[in-house]
Amino acid sequence: MSGGMSGPIRRSASVRRLVAIGVTLIVLLSPFLWLLQMSFKSNDLILQFPPPLIFTPTLQNYASLWQGAFPASFVNSLMSASFSTALALILGVPAAYALSRWAGRGKHALSFAILVTRMAPPIAFTIPFFLFYRWIGLLDTVTGLVLVYTSFNLPLVIWMMQPFFETVPPSLEEAALVDGASTRVVFLQIVLPMVTPGVAATAILCFLYAWNDFFFALILTRTNARTAPVAVVNFMNYEGWEWGKIAAGGSLVMAPVLIFSLAVRRYLVSGLTAGAVKG
Amino acid sequence: MSGKGLVDAERRRFNAFALAPSLIVLFMIAGLPAIYLVMTSLTPFQLVNPGSSTDFSSPLRNYRLLPGDPRFVNSLWVQAKLSFWGVLFQVLLGMLLALLLHTQSRVVEFARTFFLIPMVLPPIVVAIIWKLIYTPDISPLYYAAGLLNIAMPSLTSSVDFALTAIIIADTWEWLPFTFLMVLAALQTIPDEFSEAALVDGANRLQIFFYITLPFITPILVISGMFRLIDSVKAFPLVFLLTGGGPGSVTEVTNYYAYLLAFDFNEIGYSSSVTIVMLLLVVAVSLGVVWMGRRREAMA
Repeated sequence: MSGGMSGPIRRSASVRRLVAIGVTLIVLLSPFLWLLQMSFKSNDLILQFPPPLIFTPTLQNYASLWQGAFPASFVNSLMSASFSTALALILGVPAAYALSRWAGRGKHALSFAILVTRMAPPIAFTIPFFLFYRWIGLLDTVTGLVLVYTSFNLPLVIWMMQPFFETVPPSLEEAALVDGASTRVVFLQIVLPMVTPGVAATAILCFLYAWNDFFFALILTRTNARTAPVAVVNFMNYEGWEWGKIAAGGSLVMAPVLIFSLAVRRYLVSGLTAGAVKG
Repeated sequence: MSGKGLVDAERRRFNAFALAPSLIVLFMIAGLPAIYLVMTSLTPFQLVNPGSSTDFSSPLRNYRLLPGDPRFVNSLWVQAKLSFWGVLFQVLLGMLLALLLHTQSRVVEFARTFFLIPMVLPPIVVAIIWKLIYTPDISPLYYAAGLLNIAMPSLTSSVDFALTAIIIADTWEWLPFTFLMVLAALQTIPDEFSEAALVDGANRLQIFFYITLPFITPILVISGMFRLIDSVKAFPLVFLLTGGGPGSVTEVTNYYAYLLAFDFNEIGYSSSVTIVMLLLVVAVSLGVVWMGRRREAMA
């Protein structure tokens, strides 16, 4: 395939370009790497300038996090993100399938309503949820967070799953239907197994959105259901400027995100632009 | 005939069963809150005064107050500045980065993944990262400035630089998004165009302006509009870096609405600010959907 006459743009990267890419990458990621290295330094070392290039990494910041209230908030984050992902998938996957096979009127209006739900600034939901939770006693509970997170994860599932269902050839379904299978059986036994990768990618994105939330958790939780992002910020406000601990907390909050999101990077754009453009 | 009718009826029943739970839940957790928000925006509701939550005696009072509230007007202006510069830099730099990485090479394809890191980080971690960079005692930036004998002011507490500091952090966070979208568009440009132009003696700059740029302009606009919508949500950066200050230099509308509701307990008035913001977002969303449709129709 690779003949001598390769195009001007698609030719393999020149050394100059590779160097430029490398330098750009280092510059771009340096703030992120700064946080990471800080989490392995003692507080004395953090204040030392010029920063030593070689130092003995310490896990003391992580260890002191482990002894405080941080693990509990980590568990809260895990629980609220997982449960809201599960709820959004159970409700949204069948709905996305029905929508993908439905050419009726009202589809565009419904699609737009779902898009607006995704685009609305969080404060629009926070005020009503806060008042309602105060009234029925769901403030500072994981259940409360799960419900709020579902308000943005359910539209995401319905949006993201539709293109996956559209790739399943209708002829497969028709054959089974002619053989007398019900639509429910066709959906569960033929269509669903074919879109498992789509479900996995959607699940990861839902989890990440819920995990990354700061605003809802800041307002709807106090101490019992406090999530990891809020807990990290609380170090700053209540425990003084323990930079090592703050950096370690930040690193822990971002660890699951980095692992998962690199696994679904192909779907990152379609998740973010949900529906308006075909990613 | 009748067999097909039966299948259709069965299919319709299935569709109803599949859609109903989602629609009901969406109505309860998104529709009802929206209605509730509109209702509270018509009352002078304050948390300290429970009776005021059902006081509809002067429903448009909040909306009449808005134009005369200097903090609200200022917040719109701050938001406009943040959105304009943020979106501009993200689209421009994202495009340059995409052009740089648009090449066939295993190494570069592998490296692309790492360019996405700022975008996937939890927003609060991004805010922490920039808090470290902007705090003089522990920042390599201030150390470097010191070496060069430049006296750098504390960026996040300076009237002149606080908003710029937030724009820089916001651009860093969302650059990968425009980069990814432009890169995807670049990869759909057929090689023949630029090859033909090259044969005709065009130089690289001409190829960019006459072939590449017209091809990616729609995606530049669309990704810019997506960033515009999301820029309204910039909360963690403002919350952690400046707290809206100094004064109200970095107080965007979203942050003002947050302060009103959860600091000043002015739930009713905050709701009306939020409704105005929501209407702006809906207007831009409609624009995005319209652009997307037109693009699909053209393709």
